[in-house]
Amino acid sequence: MNAIASPSYSPHLDVRNVLWLLASMAFVVAPHLFRLPYWVAIFFLVVVGWRAWISWNAIHFPPRLMVAAITIAATVGTWLQFGRITGREGGVTLLVVMAALKLLEMRTQREVTLAIYLGFFLVLTNFLFSQAIPLGFYLLACVWIFTGTLIGFNRVGRSPGIAERLRPAAALLVQALPLMAAFFLLFPRVQGPLWALPRDVRSGQTGLSDTMSPGKISELIKSDAIAFRVRFDGDRPPYSLLYWRGPVLPVLDGSTWRARRPTPAGPLDYARTGRPTRYEVIVEPNSINAFFALDVPAAAPPEAILTHDLQVFSRRPVDEKRRYEMTSWLDYRYGAHEDPAVLSVASRYDPDRNPRAVALGRSWAAKAGGDPRAIVALAAQFFNRDFAYTLEPPELDPRDPYDDFLFNTKRGFCEHYAGSFALLMRAAGIPARVVTGYQGGEVNPIDNELIVRQSDAHAWTEIWIPGEGWLRVDPTAAVSPLRVEQGVNAALGPIGVIPNLIASDRLGVLAGLRFGWQVLNGRWDQWVVGYDQTRQRDFFARLGYPSIDWRTLGFWLVIATFAIGAAVTLGLLVRERPRRTEPSLAAWNRYCAKLARAGLERAAHEGPLDFLARVRARKPPWAADAEEITRRYVAARYGGGASREELRELRARVRRFEPA
Amino acid sequence: MFADLRQHVSDWIFRVASPEVPPVTLVQRRIFILPTRQGYGFGLTLVLLLLASINYNLSLGFLLTFLLASMAGVAMLHTWRNLAHLRLRPGRCDPVFAEETAAFGVSVESPSLTRFAIGLRRHGEDPVYADVGTGEPAAMALPLQARRRGVVRCGRLEIFTRYPLGLFHAWSYVDFDLAVIVYPRPDTSAGVPPQEGREESREGIPVPGDEEFNMLRSYRAGDSPRMIAWKALARGQGLLTKEFSAMASSELWLDWADARAPDVEGRLAILAHWVLQADGFGQAYGLRLPARRIEADRGEAHRARCLEALALFEEGA
Repeated sequence: MNAIASPSYSPHLDVRNVLWLLASMAFVVAPHLFRLPYWVAIFFLVVVGWRAWISWNAIHFPPRLMVAAITIAATVGTWLQFGRITGREGGVTLLVVMAALKLLEMRTQREVTLAIYLGFFLVLTNFLFSQAIPLGFYLLACVWIFTGTLIGFNRVGRSPGIAERLRPAAALLVQALPLMAAFFLLFPRVQGPLWALPRDVRSGQTGLSDTMSPGKISELIKSDAIAFRVRFDGDRPPYSLLYWRGPVLPVLDGSTWRARRPTPAGPLDYARTGRPTRYEVIVEPNSINAFFALDVPAAAPPEAILTHDLQVFSRRPVDEKRRYEMTSWLDYRYGAHEDPAVLSVASRYDPDRNPRAVALGRSWAAKAGGDPRAIVALAAQFFNRDFAYTLEPPELDPRDPYDDFLFNTKRGFCEHYAGSFALLMRAAGIPARVVTGYQGGEVNPIDNELIVRQSDAHAWTEIWIPGEGWLRVDPTAAVSPLRVEQGVNAALGPIGVIPNLIASDRLGVLAGLRFGWQVLNGRWDQWVVGYDQTRQRDFFARLGYPSIDWRTLGFWLVIATFAIGAAVTLGLLVRERPRRTEPSLAAWNRYCAKLARAGLERAAHEGPLDFLARVRARKPPWAADAEEITRRYVAARYGGGASREELRELRARVRRFEPA
Repeated sequence: MFADLRQHVSDWIFRVASPEVPPVTLVQRRIFILPTRQGYGFGLTLVLLLLASINYNLSLGFLLTFLLASMAGVAMLHTWRNLAHLRLRPGRCDPVFAEETAAFGVSVESPSLTRFAIGLRRHGEDPVYADVGTGEPAAMALPLQARRRGVVRCGRLEIFTRYPLGLFHAWSYVDFDLAVIVYPRPDTSAGVPPQEGREESREGIPVPGDEEFNMLRSYRAGDSPRMIAWKALARGQGLLTKEFSAMASSELWLDWADARAPDVEGRLAILAHWVLQADGFGQAYGLRLPARRIEADRGEAHRARCLEALALFEEGA
């Protein structure tokens, strides 16, 4: 290992190099500092500042024992904060803290290199939190700066300036891009995870959950975060049919509706008409592993399961953006021969809770003589009277919330309507359940993609009618048809709560920009963030290689590597080609060559005048010509330069010069 | 053990026909390249990044990993390019006295772009570094402590670089058979050379003050700077050399037999001292060694010839 040891150009690390490294590290850690507990930010900045101070003033490093004590304290601090030192927040906190301490105690070139590699790793940890376009470019800039830092540490002598670091770093990065792209496309993708992920790797997603109580969805609806994006294969179904099915909640405990444990679907009990709708969905991370599909899904995608009540669940956590293809039947009859156990759950209610609603439901049953359609008609009449649709419903009585809503406040949101309607139906003897999900979405006019946001969250009901099966009834539609026809913003009107400023600005420049940005994000999510094993296969299938395997990919990867490597080498060699020799120097070189052939070679260290002296001494007959040529050459090259005529004269004299 | 084996293998693979005729251009087949320790460390980092990307399904993690991997590949080419096509020539290898620091000079020239952090080293010794700009060759000098008089040979030189990222070590070997002549260390306690008893001249070195200024003659290459008539030069009369009558007429013989010391090295040290003394005073002097005789003369070239004779005495060179 002797021959290839670490370079130690100087016993002390150059101050400017160290400051560059500290700055690069601060850049890469900066996004984390906003996410992690505030003490981590303070700790990092203080330690890095301390190190800068040490280098700037060339003072002593803290004793090793002290650094060790700080390390232990920081580890304990992390543990106290998160209850562990693994997991996303805990692990990243520990990594940030350790990076700061590494910077503090780094003294040798080798430790510097280690710190820089740690920096590259910290770049990656940022992607655990977000893979959005702006962060991607920010971190690319960080990699650039880190590369410049590394270049600085590999220079000798004077510490290079900004351009001398960043320009070669940019050259390296730009030349690396084609190969990177080839690797990205061709490197055989393996489906992770390789080991169990800590549970908090993705956390804090907003979205539907598997319970519903009055007020829950209206909280959600204030978020304009994207839930999923849809691209239809063919025409988009009418807006009023865009019911994206999410968690089905058949269990009522008086105020809250809950999901049951999902049971996989047996043979599907469908009677469907019309043509299926095909589409592709890119779903954002959610905590319930749900894949959303239009009511009702025909079958689950390969990586998901379809439950008995027609929910689609991913087999692995939806802890990142996921893409899947779906087919749905919008015109269907489902569950005509429903399992009695399921119907029994869908009929249960506690008569002691919400007694007035229960009494109302029972009275409808008596009035309609048990005809379900008549009962529904009675309910529609009831809701069509003085009910109002609002995002900010008044507080409800916690014990009998649906009584309070139906008979006192009469102002509510979809979950109020769905919850109370399902309860009324059960009281009237009709099996009913609440279905949550999303309704509608926003069409991006640029690429026709449908964007469904959390603000499109919705709840509706399904009732079971003998011989027909489950039927969707959306009581909100009775109260506010606009909600279902045009979306929540239309339904709320100008006085409703509009969470984002630009939601209403559909036609303006701002909206154009927003849609353009969404398209870009969509492409990014689809082709970059979402480029996985499936996507890779699709990509090559589209190119005409339907069943590509890792061997073929590997083969092409090797080919691409060599091709790109050869291209880059060629590019470097082209730049390597010597520049055109300056004309006076060319003439001088010819003159020297002539003399060399005549046995009088100019030594490498010999200047023109020294050489002339030697020529004069050794070969007096040539002295006159040599003197003239030398004089002209020196004037042209070291004097003020030469005019065209002077150069021509110099060349002519060299041509005529014949030492023999 | 690994290092030994590596050395053997490298000696066998990287044989260079030596010595070589300058200038040597580092063409592509002369350049070898291997990852450095940091390079292997970087590889390990890449593996970790890849594993993390797979495990957490981070597409941008893959992008980062592949970007860094490709950059390492490009950096390898840059490292190679940083060394390729450099032109090497032997540089100054001035003689030194024993126990001084000798310097093996190599002149490195870049045909085009500036090359950064070019290192030069002898096997197992600390390298020297230089940036080689365009236009002017960089004069690099490898210092070497000259322990004893004689000739020190530089042997095979390794020219290498790790720029830009330090991940790869590109190197080439070159052997110009550079040698530095190491004069015996003058024995300053030896006093002045004996002034009588020898054939040609009865006169010794004139003591300062005795010099009798004789004439000015035109400068000849090799005249000692001490004898140049600087005042005349300042007046614009050109380079003239002062001659002293004492010197013009006297010759001093420095004889092996006069240098009384217990061993050969001691005698050489005394003679070296006398040569310097005589030269310092502008005295014409000759040198008589058991197997060699250098006729009396003066000037830098003569002094160098005498000291060289002392340096190579019984060296078989």
